[in-house]
Amino acid sequence: MKVRFAVNGRAVTAEVDAETRLLDVLREDLHLTGTKEGCGEGECGACTVLLDGRPVNSCLVLALQIEGADIVTIEGLADGPRLHPIQQAFVDAGAVQCGFCTPGFVLSVYALLRDCPAPSDEEILMALEGNLCRCTGYAKIVDAVRLAAKRLAEARVQEAA
Amino acid sequence: MRYVRVETEAELLEALDRDGAHLLSGGTDLLVKMRSGLLRPKSLVDPARVAALRGIEGSANALWIGAATPFAEILASKEVAARAPLLADVVRVLGCVQIRNRGTLGGNLANASPAADSAVPLLLYEAAVELRGKRGSRSVPIGDFFLAPGRTVLEHGEYMRGVSIPVSRGDWIPFFHKVGRRRALTIAIASVGGLTSISNGKAVDVRLAAGSVAPVPLRLKSVERAVAGQALDDSVIARARALAAKEISPIDDVRATAHYRREVTADLVARALERARAT
Repeated sequence: MKVRFAVNGRAVTAEVDAETRLLDVLREDLHLTGTKEGCGEGECGACTVLLDGRPVNSCLVLALQIEGADIVTIEGLADGPRLHPIQQAFVDAGAVQCGFCTPGFVLSVYALLRDCPAPSDEEILMALEGNLCRCTGYAKIVDAVRLAAKRLAEARVQEAA
Repeated sequence: MRYVRVETEAELLEALDRDGAHLLSGGTDLLVKMRSGLLRPKSLVDPARVAALRGIEGSANALWIGAATPFAEILASKEVAARAPLLADVVRVLGCVQIRNRGTLGGNLANASPAADSAVPLLLYEAAVELRGKRGSRSVPIGDFFLAPGRTVLEHGEYMRGVSIPVSRGDWIPFFHKVGRRRALTIAIASVGGLTSISNGKAVDVRLAAGSVAPVPLRLKSVERAVAGQALDDSVIARARALAAKEISPIDDVRATAHYRREVTADLVARALERARAT
């Protein structure tokens, strides 16, 4: 069966089976390998993408369920060679170790800061509860979120001025 | 396997009537079961576009939540926060952001896990589920909906339209606590919810329910009877604790022992009543 949807603003069509997951289409057909498969059962969040703006586990979504939807993957955030401020904050805060969980974390943070530009620590932890990191612990990741929130707020002030 | 997208309830009924058809809601439980080989449907029927199954609506008598409404919408709803605050409290600690964005209330109930978080507040509010099949619709009290782990009264070809939560008294003191390994994404070892109404120092109305400690989520009726009309003093709470441990039938499994579940459920019941007493 054919499925049509948008990925990072680009319209795509893919030929899929009923069993094909969104994760499989992204990685195998569209070669968007920034989306990672960790547990494959919705526990780890490594496969997080934005579906119509909301974080979901792409391992728990069938490709055919997203007909007409708008998907954003980690590849959709950077502006050419310039990292998105959230990505840059992860680098600067040292919130990346092996990096496998990072794309999922960054997309969860993207949705958080869009809806809640100045989150409390509690709100940060709640937004990241579905993403696991097995290297760093979470202190530097939370630092990165705070740093990204601060920089995005500064950028908004500059833009307004 | 086939994937069938339906747009109307008539199409949904027809698609579900076929041999081996299985309804696909948020997929957060179903896809895991399918991939591990526990379930091999011949077709998956996706009702995401059937508008009648989605949304939250308050009327004078009840709050209606469509079965295919994702938890994120329930958590964001002012109507739910105002009229079924305990449901909002439970949904806040259900799964994680990603799961709440896909998982639905109807899916969580129809999956019929003994640990289904959303069952506990619905048992306490005495909600009813509306089921529809070829022979028509029926309303089933949530307490009669679950039969055994993974089994409900849903018959082949039947689906859940939604959940109706009756308007109840405004003076409930709510309680919910889930014991698990971590806060997020945890399958409960045991969970206890309560609604208590206190007047003149006495518990005039007490409802208690527990999850993960019996084949199905259940109301703790013997405890409720023992506590109703009583002042919540230490002896009443001690009795409630003992009755709670007796009423449940927990098992040993990978998450905890039956013994631990009994102890922790008794503790949580005591805590619910102590909290109500202190309010």
